[in-house]
Amino acid sequence: MEKILEVKDLELSFDTFAGEVKAIRGVNFDVLKGETLAIVGESGSGKSVTTKSIMRLLPDSSTRYKNGAINFDGKNLLSISEKEMQKIRGKDISMIFQDPMTSLNPTMTIGKQIMEPLLKHRGLSKKEARTNAIELLTLVGMPEPEARMKEYPHQQSGGQRQRIVIAIALACNPKLLIADEPTTALDVTIQAQILELMKDLQKKISTSIIFITHDLGVVANVADRVAVMYGGQIVEVGTVDEIFYNPQHPYTWGLLSSMPSLDLGEDKLYAIPGTPPDLLNPPIGDAFALRSEYALAIDLEERPPLFQVSDTHYAATWLLHPEAPVVTPPPAIVERMKKFPGSRYYEEKHGGES
Amino acid sequence: MAEKLLEIKNLKLYFNEGKKNEVRAVDDVSFDIYKGETLGIVGESGCGKSTTGRTIIRLYNATDGQVLYDGADVHTKKSKAELKEFNRKMQMIFQDPYASLNPRMKVLDIIAEGIDIHGLAKSPKERMERVYALLETVGLNKEHINRYPHEFSGGQRQRIGIARALAVEPEFIIADEPISALDVSIQAQVVNLLKELQEERGLTYLFIAHDLSMVKYISDRIGVMYFGKLVEIGPAEKLYTTPCHPYTKSLLSAIPLPDPEYERNRVRVSYDPKSHNYAEDEEVKMREVTPGHFVLCSEREFELIQQEK
Ligand SMILES: Nc1ncnc2c1ncn2[C@@H]1O[C@H](COP(=O)(O)OP(=O)(O)OP(=O)(O)O)[C@@H](O)[C@H]1O
Ligand SMILES: Nc1ncnc2c1ncn2[C@@H]1O[C@H](COP(=O)(O)OP(=O)(O)OP(=O)(O)O)[C@@H](O)[C@H]1O
Ligand SMILES: [Mg+2]
Ligand SMILES: [Mg+2]
Repeated sequence: MEKILEVKDLELSFDTFAGEVKAIRGVNFDVLKGETLAIVGESGSGKSVTTKSIMRLLPDSSTRYKNGAINFDGKNLLSISEKEMQKIRGKDISMIFQDPMTSLNPTMTIGKQIMEPLLKHRGLSKKEARTNAIELLTLVGMPEPEARMKEYPHQQSGGQRQRIVIAIALACNPKLLIADEPTTALDVTIQAQILELMKDLQKKISTSIIFITHDLGVVANVADRVAVMYGGQIVEVGTVDEIFYNPQHPYTWGLLSSMPSLDLGEDKLYAIPGTPPDLLNPPIGDAFALRSEYALAIDLEERPPLFQVSDTHYAATWLLHPEAPVVTPPPAIVERMKKFPGSRYYEEKHGGES
Repeated sequence: MAEKLLEIKNLKLYFNEGKKNEVRAVDDVSFDIYKGETLGIVGESGCGKSTTGRTIIRLYNATDGQVLYDGADVHTKKSKAELKEFNRKMQMIFQDPYASLNPRMKVLDIIAEGIDIHGLAKSPKERMERVYALLETVGLNKEHINRYPHEFSGGQRQRIGIARALAVEPEFIIADEPISALDVSIQAQVVNLLKELQEERGLTYLFIAHDLSMVKYISDRIGVMYFGKLVEIGPAEKLYTTPCHPYTKSLLSAIPLPDPEYERNRVRVSYDPKSHNYAEDEEVKMREVTPGHFVLCSEREFELIQQEK
């Protein structure tokens, strides 16, 4: 399938008083036309920074791009002018931010904020833009859309603000929509509606979506492919089934084991031990090794390359090296692997029903 | 049953009261919170969960109704000393980790602010030690202490907010979506932490959240809100196994599970408030279905619920 975005060897740091924060340490991924790529991973692992670099929204003064390219529509977004970037931002690529309050202007009515990109990028008349804005508010499930137009962000609940942000992002039918925790502030019913809405939109105009979320349930629902980030790197990438039913990286194992299940009365939730890596002095080898019971000696010395598991599935763990010892993943993961043809725990289902 | 710590009686909070744009964010809501329990509150976005929490903690003045904390009315006038003590006992962890941290303060000072106001540390050394211990409890590093909020990721910021709330050793914490911004493993850490603190210190929580699997895990009882009203409340287990209000049913059917195959086949039930078809004279109120499990319904609906059982 056609690639719409290509992130290559991206490496970037922030200059802070404490020193150089090495936030992104060699990230590679593609986004295909019409697909949804979910990015999951620990808080602080670099998900937002990666996507903000695509939009070129990081602070100029403290951000240092050290290596890499971000190719979109035949251009390297890291080398075009700010003026060119402005034409792309909000039109071809739009973003829904993690925190709705920072992306809404508190002094501007909601109506004005939605109409702005319509006037700027789509050249609509004021009247058309107004009608369109109300349609967008209806589309994202805002009650009383007309009345909202005159209101301000602070008069809205957390979830309502987020829906406004989503309406703005959808205004210009973008080619690439970057959604950073777009539904975290929403209740599950509205969340389900918004996810359906995004999928619909995707079918209609083949928008590609990068979807960042902590909610693995949401990932299972929306993603075609999943990239797992840890410590400024992508440690595993694969189709949604490969990541949920045949995960290979110990961090992915930990992540999938941390979810409470609805029917089990667990006494204590599994939490990955230890603290996130210090990005001022990132570990040399596998950044997760110090927190992993599966760490090998080499993990502390050398960074693992991405080993290929299938055409679509790669994981950066020395456990996949042909000479590595064979380990048994945590029980919850083995359970998952039983469902995956091709995993070594696969159990074919008996009976006709699937 | 345990002792009541809070009694919320017919609480109302209307924004822009009496005006054309009046919003009945909390509309005649009553419930109790018992000492040492976790009461989870879930519901549609915009249904008034945060406003309920904020009114309980007196960030808003109630339009009507009462909030009793240990028998004392929260909303009546108080002396400075009473207010200070009161503010220490009740803490809130906010939904929005960006807006709730002062961008000009270093992490150290954000966390230590409450310790200073309430004179909880005897020496500068003790003050530092407390802050270090709090940082460790919430999973941050010592190195973070001299940084400013904008240098942190969303999840890291939320942990700073939690450390700040814990710093003054409160009795009652309103956690307004304290974990929504965190990744699952840190969510698990924070939830385990909240549970541990509860066992150790007998804390009481009002836990507002969207993630129903987490709410179920942490809560003893759960209340479901819809459009300013409490529509169902009961023991966590009961609410999940035998939900009675159609909105609760719809909510449960929408929970996404980390299982792609399940997600591809999921059937969602939607809720239409018109489906109740209440007649003018029908009394719609909280009725007890099984001990401790209340549902907002009419007499007619109540009979149907009884039959279904
Ligand atoms: N402007 C900045 N200056 C210095 N450090 C920064 C800045 N922005 C982000 N960082 C650091 O970069 C790292 C990656 O942050 P990022 O916001 O991408 O995390 P994330 O994966 O999105 O986490 P979360 O899930 O909590 O949102 C973090 O360690 C963060 O502290
Ligand atoms: N300051 C305000 N002025 C006017 N209306 C407000 C104000 N704050 C909130 N509201 C309205 O009150 C209602 C309840 O808002 P609240 O923030 O309590 O919802 P919530 O249940 O916490 O939602 P969410 O899950 O999205 O955070 C919403 O309809 C909102 O628009
Ligand atoms: Mg982020
Ligand atoms: Mg809220």
